[in-house]
Amino acid sequence: MELTYAPIQGKSRGYRTMLAILIALVVVLITSFLVAYLMGQQVWGINNEVIWGQLITLDIYFIGLSAGAIIISSLSYVFKREEYKPIGRIAVFMGLLLMIGAMVCVLVDLGRPEKFWRLFMYFYLNNMTSLFAINGILYLGYILLMLLYLWLILENRIRLAAIIGTIDVIWAIMVHTGTGAIFGLIANREILFTPIKPFEFLTAALTSGTSLLILVSIVTFKFTKRAFNKGLVISLGKLLSYIVILLLVLVFFDKLTHMYFPSREGTVFLFSGPYWWLFWVFQIGMGIIIPLVILFHPRLGKTVKGVVIAAASVVIGVLGERAALVIPGTAYPQPLYPGQIEGIWGAAGVFPMTPWETLLSLGIISLVALLFVLGLKYLELLPAAPSAEAVAVPQPEPSPPVTDASTKETGEKLD
Amino acid sequence: MARWGMVIDMDKCVGCQACTIACWEENNIPHGSPEDHKRWREIFWNKVITVSEGRYPTVSIEFISMPCMHCDQPPCVTVCPAKATYRREDGIVMQDFRRCIGCRYCIVACPYWARNFNYKTQAEEEYDRPDPPPDRVSRGPWPFPHRIRGVVEKCTFCFHRIDQGIREGKKIGVDVVPACVEACPTKARAFGDLDDPDSKVSRLLASRTSIRLREDMGTHPKTFYLPR
Amino acid sequence: MTRRAFLKLSAIAGAVLAMSRIFKHPVVSASPSLSESTGNSGIEEKWIATSCLNCPTRCATRVRVVNGKAVKIIGNPLSQTSEGEVCPRAHIGLQVLYDSERLTAPLRRTNPVKGRTVDPGWAPISWEEALGEISARLKSLRDRAQPHQLLLLLGLNTISDEDLIRRFGDAYGTPNIISGDGLESEAERLGRWMADGNWSHIAYDLGNSNYILAFGASILESHKPVARNLRMWGKMRRERPDRAKVVVIDPRHSVTAAKADEWIPITPGTDAALAMAIANVIISEELYDAGFIADWTDGFDKYKELALTDYSPEKVAEMTGINADTIRRLAREFAQSRLAIAWVGTGASRWPNGSYNSYAIFCLNALVGSIDVPGGVTYQENPEYREMPELVEDETARAGRAKPRLDLRRTGRFPAAEVATNQVADSILEASPYPVEVAIGFNSNFNMSAPGPGRWDEALSKVPYYVHIAPFASEMAQYADIILPASTFLEQWGYDHSPPGSGFAEAKIKQPVVESVGDSRAVGNIVFELARRLEGTVASSFTGIGNDTEGFVRYRTGTLTAWKEFYEKGVWVGPDYKYGKYDSIFQTPSKKFEFRSGNLEMRLKQVGRDGNGLTTLPHYDSVEFLGNEKDYPLVLLTYQPLLDIENGSQNYPWAQQIFLVRHGIGWDNVVEVYVETASALGFGDGDMVWVESPFNRIKARARVFEGVYPGVVAISRGQGHYAYGRWAKGIGVNPNEIVGVDYDHLSGQAAFFNTRVRVYKA
Repeated sequence: MELTYAPIQGKSRGYRTMLAILIALVVVLITSFLVAYLMGQQVWGINNEVIWGQLITLDIYFIGLSAGAIIISSLSYVFKREEYKPIGRIAVFMGLLLMIGAMVCVLVDLGRPEKFWRLFMYFYLNNMTSLFAINGILYLGYILLMLLYLWLILENRIRLAAIIGTIDVIWAIMVHTGTGAIFGLIANREILFTPIKPFEFLTAALTSGTSLLILVSIVTFKFTKRAFNKGLVISLGKLLSYIVILLLVLVFFDKLTHMYFPSREGTVFLFSGPYWWLFWVFQIGMGIIIPLVILFHPRLGKTVKGVVIAAASVVIGVLGERAALVIPGTAYPQPLYPGQIEGIWGAAGVFPMTPWETLLSLGIISLVALLFVLGLKYLELLPAAPSAEAVAVPQPEPSPPVTDASTKETGEKLD
Repeated sequence: MARWGMVIDMDKCVGCQACTIACWEENNIPHGSPEDHKRWREIFWNKVITVSEGRYPTVSIEFISMPCMHCDQPPCVTVCPAKATYRREDGIVMQDFRRCIGCRYCIVACPYWARNFNYKTQAEEEYDRPDPPPDRVSRGPWPFPHRIRGVVEKCTFCFHRIDQGIREGKKIGVDVVPACVEACPTKARAFGDLDDPDSKVSRLLASRTSIRLREDMGTHPKTFYLPR
Repeated sequence: MTRRAFLKLSAIAGAVLAMSRIFKHPVVSASPSLSESTGNSGIEEKWIATSCLNCPTRCATRVRVVNGKAVKIIGNPLSQTSEGEVCPRAHIGLQVLYDSERLTAPLRRTNPVKGRTVDPGWAPISWEEALGEISARLKSLRDRAQPHQLLLLLGLNTISDEDLIRRFGDAYGTPNIISGDGLESEAERLGRWMADGNWSHIAYDLGNSNYILAFGASILESHKPVARNLRMWGKMRRERPDRAKVVVIDPRHSVTAAKADEWIPITPGTDAALAMAIANVIISEELYDAGFIADWTDGFDKYKELALTDYSPEKVAEMTGINADTIRRLAREFAQSRLAIAWVGTGASRWPNGSYNSYAIFCLNALVGSIDVPGGVTYQENPEYREMPELVEDETARAGRAKPRLDLRRTGRFPAAEVATNQVADSILEASPYPVEVAIGFNSNFNMSAPGPGRWDEALSKVPYYVHIAPFASEMAQYADIILPASTFLEQWGYDHSPPGSGFAEAKIKQPVVESVGDSRAVGNIVFELARRLEGTVASSFTGIGNDTEGFVRYRTGTLTAWKEFYEKGVWVGPDYKYGKYDSIFQTPSKKFEFRSGNLEMRLKQVGRDGNGLTTLPHYDSVEFLGNEKDYPLVLLTYQPLLDIENGSQNYPWAQQIFLVRHGIGWDNVVEVYVETASALGFGDGDMVWVESPFNRIKARARVFEGVYPGVVAISRGQGHYAYGRWAKGIGVNPNEIVGVDYDHLSGQAAFFNTRVRVYKA
């Protein structure tokens, strides 16, 4: 069943208001960046103990979301599941934008942003033992692949898109396990160090990517007055629940290994130190428990509302998971010498939320949202028909057959 | 090729912190403020940590003066994407300020908190001098006179003294030593070539038990400690 | 823009970026070396020998000066006092020199109101005007035959400047030349003087000693000469076949206690009891040096009787809180380690019973024969500077100097005192024995460093005319009518020698390493100028000794060494120390070491008191604490950490950043409380608490840990500045604010440790 895509008109007041707000926030982004660039990172909350802050958290979060979105998009283009077609293009576009957002995060976070190009150099010129460098190459390739992928999709070159899509999915997996490896291979930080970290990252990427995709799709479709296939939502919800279980298993084994005697101080710090809530409330509570409870509930799990709530919970929970890695991971005072280390060298790190850094984070999120919203207007991302019903997931009552001719209403004003 | 190492005698060390101050003085390191201290942003190329154990009245403390360990397997070198930190042939782990992009991965990776990030452009009066001394005028790895912020810096075993000493034919470890070694009033620190069986460091390591910090990390640090 | 164009553009942009970087990227060599720059023209570098003045140790240093700017300070290897080493404070000299808030011009006060928080309204004036006004005042005072109403207050100055100031005071006719010694270790000196007649800080031959029993001594933090102690520590612990054993007796787990082999907490103020108990054991087990006792001591029988009767270890165990077995063990170790030193620290001497504490502890050295032998107590030799010509004095000067002194030394109040600094504030307030008309402070800051600083505030407000001479406007300068900007020690000429410790004599030079900053002038030159302006006998007394500080130094050191050699080398080292000079070191009536002090008896007689019974014997005098135990259950101890710069200011970030190494704390000071005491009082580590004495209260951050005797709280001095320095103002607390005013009444030493406090959560 062929589906046509069309851009939205983008002339409604709602749209314009959103555009205005987002543009204002992007201006805030540029301002905050300039402030930090001119005054130095002292205006942020980072310090010599908690050396990575909101921006790196946001960066790995976005990479995760991007990889997740791309992998879900593969359901549509690589695995040729027709029911995921309506959201296929949005997924790829989201993947691209989120990755661009992640790159903006990294660039802005650098001490010397004007030297960012050093991260993207060729093999022999960079330090290939550094996962940052390897990831730099992976990220560059990933963005280029996604650009290509998106272009092919927009051009409707489906077969080529499938091939590139496959490569892109594998690349996305590499990207995100690579990002996980940045943390997982650091031996001196107990909270970060585990070989499972790349897989945890990938799984969290899938959960958060799927959830964000669900949310964005439903919100976008709702605001553009397109009907959303309930079955699609439920099936995505089911997929989500399986991945969350996988994530739970991975997190469980990771933490079990670390909590097993002896040598567990770092993990005890994570569980019961000043940042315990990042782990328990966000990562476990919102990222795993609540979605599982909802999605496996006999009634709730089958409603759109339930899935949406679960997805929202996962989206926030996984952000908390990233933060629970970055902040307590570096806040845990390193055991330089056995015994109680006095003063600042033995004190747990403190990461305050400073205004400029928070504005910067908000700004980058707004930038991604802005690009998305602009993309909706200028690219053909959404299914054309206002009440597009793609081939429905086999249901007890098949919907009445529709033909192209009667439902094709291109260019109809929607908003 | 020499392999430079340092030996610090924890018995002789009395926690006076002359090493920390002399290092600040030698390397023109800008000082912090109470605000910086609270936010933990002060730059310490050498720091003295105090570790305490025990309960009244059998309390004990150790003073451990920590420069950069100059590991033979440095985790910071492994993770630096821009090759801004690298291990020289003579064992000194160097920091090239001009290549550093300020990603701070090395700070995460260093098990000894030896590395510092520079958070702000320092005011003129916060330097002890705005111009480097004559033998340190260089556009190479030595920090700019006014450090640029946004890069990472750390102890360099006073490579500038060593390189100049070698050029002038002086004996390293005897005539020429890093600033912290020179400043220590109890003569608790020694510096020299670990591969030279005749050097002070080799002899000290042979005569007493030595430990290194966080041995289990496998970094093979070249800063040794002689316990009490 | 169409999406096609957008995608194309981004692709091209990415490619271009990548390409440009590939071609521009420089290849970096593995080990870049420095450029050939040592032969750089236009860069002038020199090393100048001088000495430090951040504490009374006055270590010899060398300063590296590049293009007229001082960039590095290290020790002078030719100095034998500390074998070329310096403590961390020497390096901070750079921040003292280049302190951006230093005074650059003389200032006059425009706001007549004087007070701690009152803005003086400083207006810059010229040197001519300032000196003219000051000398006019001085002259008029002299003309009215009241020269004794000039008060000269000495903080930390070079010895050459001190010599000049004292000469000035003598020629002028005032007896009131008051140094800060009365806050330091006068009781220690008196205790020792009671035994052997030498009024000086005790020197210990550390390098050769095998056992050190340190009573309240912060050997590694503040006991002068600090740098020598640090160097000798390294030497005696690891550079000799015999490692010296160190035992520290102190209610506080100080840095010294931490590095020592044993820390023995003691009930505060009972050091003499412990010393006498140790004597008891040594005597009863006949472990004393019988030969020395027989040949060179006097009064041993009385001492023996006292020790054996009143100071059994069991009895003293109760008083001091130290186990009787421990006392016996210490005594035996002390007597059987040849040689052993019993070290009198300020922790034992700054008490109302400080002189007797010092005497009792000092006697232990004689008991085991550790007097003037390698490894024992030594008798410091000082450089014999050229004698100045006789003072030219007139009747006014003679009459003035004959008047009683404001600090009431050698009166019934302080019968054996040399200087009772803290009394001066009260004397000014009471205008007794007479009011003060003019006061001049040279680098002094008693408004911070003396107990009961509020009295100094009031006293200085009362003085009609106060001139403050220092490089910066400290707390004391708040009350000045005129401030004269003095040069720091790196910009002036002078000679110095370290406090007792080395045994042999060593003179160190001070010479300018850079041009004077701003319009500052050397203290010595200011004195010369004032003397000249006063004309008459005062000016005459300042002729023939070199016309300025450089000349003066050259004149005075002329007998020691050739001038060129002195300023190039920076030090003159005297002949090696000779031990065993028993026939010349005892300045006592019996010409021997006296266990029963004839010297004190003589002093007491001079003020009409008796010297019988315990008064002239070393003994434990119980301490009267200020504040009752019920309301104020804890005793306040204060101490001086190594990074407390003793020049009256703490405006030095390098010192502030790492101020308390024991606690890993910077930019603050804390009140140290024992863990169980704190939990009983309901606060934890890091909480803000009030520390309240019967006199005042301060709010400080609590540091709860195990290293403090349970009945005690400890606060470091050196913080709590409120008048000067953006790096010092408003940081930490000054515990002197709540310490009560009390004295060791024999020596006039201000008592710092007998104030009781209570602590509660803020």
